Amino acid sequence: MILFSGSGIIASGDSLHQEIRLDAGQAMDLVLVALGGGQAVFDVEIAGAGADINLRGLYLCGGNDRLDIKVNMRHSVGESRSNQLFRGIMTGEARARFDGRIVVAPDAQKTEAYQINQNLQLSDDAVVETLPQLEIYADDVKCSHGATVGNLNLDEQFYMRSRGVSLEEARRLQMISFLAPVMEGLPEDVKEQVYAAIR
Amino acid sequence: MKEILKISGLHAVIAGTDKEILKGIDLTINEGEVHAVMGPNGAGKSTLSSVLTGKPQYEVTAGSITYMGKDLLVMSPEERSWAGIFMSFQYPVEIPGVSIQNFMKTAINCKREAEGLGDISGAEFLKLMREKMALVHMKPDFAKREVNVGFSGGEKKKNEIFQMAMLDPSLSILDETDSGLDVDALRIVAEGVNTLKTPQKSTIVITHYQRLLEMIVPDVVHILKDGKIVCTGGRELVGRIEAEGYDSF
Repeated sequence: MILFSGSGIIASGDSLHQEIRLDAGQAMDLVLVALGGGQAVFDVEIAGAGADINLRGLYLCGGNDRLDIKVNMRHSVGESRSNQLFRGIMTGEARARFDGRIVVAPDAQKTEAYQINQNLQLSDDAVVETLPQLEIYADDVKCSHGATVGNLNLDEQFYMRSRGVSLEEARRLQMISFLAPVMEGLPEDVKEQVYAAIR
Repeated sequence: MKEILKISGLHAVIAGTDKEILKGIDLTINEGEVHAVMGPNGAGKSTLSSVLTGKPQYEVTAGSITYMGKDLLVMSPEERSWAGIFMSFQYPVEIPGVSIQNFMKTAINCKREAEGLGDISGAEFLKLMREKMALVHMKPDFAKREVNVGFSGGEKKKNEIFQMAMLDPSLSILDETDSGLDVDALRIVAEGVNTLKTPQKSTIVITHYQRLLEMIVPDVVHILKDGKIVCTGGRELVGRIEAEGYDSF
């Protein structure tokens, strides 16, 4: 697993534990790339107005990979924003668990907090467990969360195949397409690594 | 004249159901011919094009389709493309995160691989892209755009004709290419199709309006109604439909 901030690596390894605090006006953009199993924990405390965190992640799990992602997003102060997007592709007998919690403190009015976890489950034996949770104690906030587990879109696949793209390549392009919003801004060599893992 | 496509007694249902859409179609297309298939909504026009291109959501229950002497129905969608069949979609699909350039390069290299050739060279590919983009009046940045994402209706159809030009098919199927197009976009699309036309290439134009057929002039016109071809004639049929509607057939 590799964690990027901007275009640089800030952490890597099979087990990552990030404690992050954002003070007033601070902004942060983080991307987790997990090619295989491991454990990643994000404990984020948003402690100042105007703070803004964009946390994205992609995972590709196959074989017997076990992946565990945990996000604790605490908005202690209002007028702050967090946006999470996690997308994963599951094959083989891999198992992944996404445990995402957003907590908005009682006085943290005008908080905006969003979380999306989307998965492609490409084998019957792969398991993905997604646990989005919202705990909101303030009343003037914009928060949403969502999770999906789906398969490759057949209309998209047919469109590509009708142009002579083989089924195998069409599936590969669909996976690239699915991960694209998470990969935006990553260094080219990392994108290449992801593409190679999809092959 | 050389026969390109022969459809005999074709029946098709929506896969996994009893709902029959095509109820016995017979149609023969020779080299170089332009055939129009016209008919009201729900007649089965788009099902016919889907069956010709191998869309998995339809199932052929009877009949046969022979394309250049080969059994088309046993071929996968990509094999049909490699053999020279192309369909311009009524509703082209958006593929976020995949550039037109990447998409077309993948398509061309898959075909080359099937033919036992190596990948196309970067220079050759760029030259081909530039040439075909000019045909549909696309600006250079078009190649970098994500496939159909944020495209207007006109841009989507121009992108279809651009891809048709890139793939150089022997049999082109234009499925309601005129729907949702303004006059200028329609003219660019029709000019593109006409420029690509050679005496060896055949075309099927599926439409319910006369408009496109004034620019892409058919040799043969078929009226499809309730899953059957109820009338076949020359281009004079187009005028009759415009005057009398489909009810008279």
